[in-house]
Amino acid sequence: MNKRALMLLLPALILSGIVFLLPFLWLFVTSFRVQGEGSLLMAEGFSAANYARLVSDSYFAEVFFRTMWMSAAATVISLVIALPMARQIAVSAGRAKGLLLALILVPLVSGALLPTLGMLHLLGPLGVINSILKDFGLTTKSVKFLGTVPGVIIGLVQAFLPLMLLPLVNALSRLPKDVEAAAETLGAPTHIVWRRVILPLVAPGIIAGSVLVFCASLTSFVTPQILGQGKIATFGTMAYQQASLVLDWPFASAVAVVMLAILALGLAVGSLALKLLARRPA
Amino acid sequence: MKTYGFAVSARFIWTLLAYVFLLAPIAVLIFASFDDASFFRFPPKAYSLRWYEAAVESGEYRSALSVSLLVALLAGFIAVIFGAMAAFSLVRYRPAGGRIVEAILMTPLVLPLIVWAIALLQIYSKLGMSGTLPALVLAHAVITMPFSVRIMVSTFADLDPLLEQAAATLGASPGHVVRRVTLPLAMPGLVSSAAFSVLISFNDVIVSSLIAGARWITFPVRLYAQLRSQGIDPITLAIGSAIVAFILVAALIGEFMFKWSRRL
Repeated sequence: MNKRALMLLLPALILSGIVFLLPFLWLFVTSFRVQGEGSLLMAEGFSAANYARLVSDSYFAEVFFRTMWMSAAATVISLVIALPMARQIAVSAGRAKGLLLALILVPLVSGALLPTLGMLHLLGPLGVINSILKDFGLTTKSVKFLGTVPGVIIGLVQAFLPLMLLPLVNALSRLPKDVEAAAETLGAPTHIVWRRVILPLVAPGIIAGSVLVFCASLTSFVTPQILGQGKIATFGTMAYQQASLVLDWPFASAVAVVMLAILALGLAVGSLALKLLARRPA
Repeated sequence: MKTYGFAVSARFIWTLLAYVFLLAPIAVLIFASFDDASFFRFPPKAYSLRWYEAAVESGEYRSALSVSLLVALLAGFIAVIFGAMAAFSLVRYRPAGGRIVEAILMTPLVLPLIVWAIALLQIYSKLGMSGTLPALVLAHAVITMPFSVRIMVSTFADLDPLLEQAAATLGASPGHVVRRVTLPLAMPGLVSSAAFSVLISFNDVIVSSLIAGARWITFPVRLYAQLRSQGIDPITLAIGSAIVAFILVAALIGEFMFKWSRRL
């Protein structure tokens, strides 16, 4: 490697290597330690006790399956919402397109907390949705969103929809604007055009967006914690709780390592799907 | 053209509704901040600016906001400089193993930050660094750097190397070329990376709530602690709305002037 090229890369690499990647190694090692009896200090030696505890306890199995299916649901719902939206953005021109894209960026950089704060006012028992439902006489008692699984899924979809949209918009922008109209002229209805032309072309975008939304949902903790009101335990809330409240770092580390393993699996499935797509004759 | 026309209007309405859903929490946040009552109820009985006035007067929130700003500016500074240097090296010199290096620099975007923060917290406390300002700034620099690397890689890739070569042929020293040619041409990218880094750091709650000690509490950490214990203080709605309004303006400027969505 060229000396000047290396000098320029070094600060960023050192920072990432030490502050970001080293902790993951530490995590892996710590997950095999245990805390001493009645103490926060770690006992001597290594063991798989934390993993044994994770596997044997039915509570953790429940958290595991709940997190998995909630993330899967959030991913599928995001995809269904995002596909027509991304096409609409891709065919828009000039200022309208700029405005639509800018509005996607807003929730993306607002962090997890401020939109969640708004969600509380939207979904709460005295919130906007419930009061509109009551005004229209659709319900007399408040619908419970907070502290329920559907409430958390709504929050996850809202928070991570931009992650699905950006790759889809990029993929769809490469498609001619009038492909549906052209197909129509030649006698193909819109749904056939979607199935035969548009979907195969945006498949890589769909996979990229799905992996992003699934991973983000799987590890999120602010949304399930606040919208779940502490009643919906997920991987994220469990790891956070063990690390910052229970202070059982070795066990928190084991939870984290399991989360990483599932993520790695998700990424592997995503890239395998991409490879299969690339190999399939068009 | 009947089914095509129908599909187009259906798509339009769907998109409109989806945007309402996407932006509703932010809209409600702003709306609720003008409610005069100390507990939001829809529809509000009276509107006022009293929470905005209270926000301006509150020393507690001012100190949290200044911590957030300080951390965001310091972390953003590190992230932009290191990120731009790395991106320049990756694009101009195409070093062997460059793709691996780029992948390593991007890992904070893919790997779960909550998991990482749990480990970093342990390492910091081993080193006796936990709760210090440098600890927080370094953590934020790491999570914002991928954005600046990515934005700067696409910026330098779009920049014609012939311009730099021409300046060098005409006798400019390498330092002079960087200062007078490369940097001015890369300015939109640098501004975008700085804005992104500062915004991401300013709004981060996941990493900060684990890493920040009692001394350096950022605004999102204060807000999160409050949401978990006492419920919502209307002053935070006013501050949150002001932040979201600022982000909206930044995103509009960023998209129309600097094409943010394409640089990401």
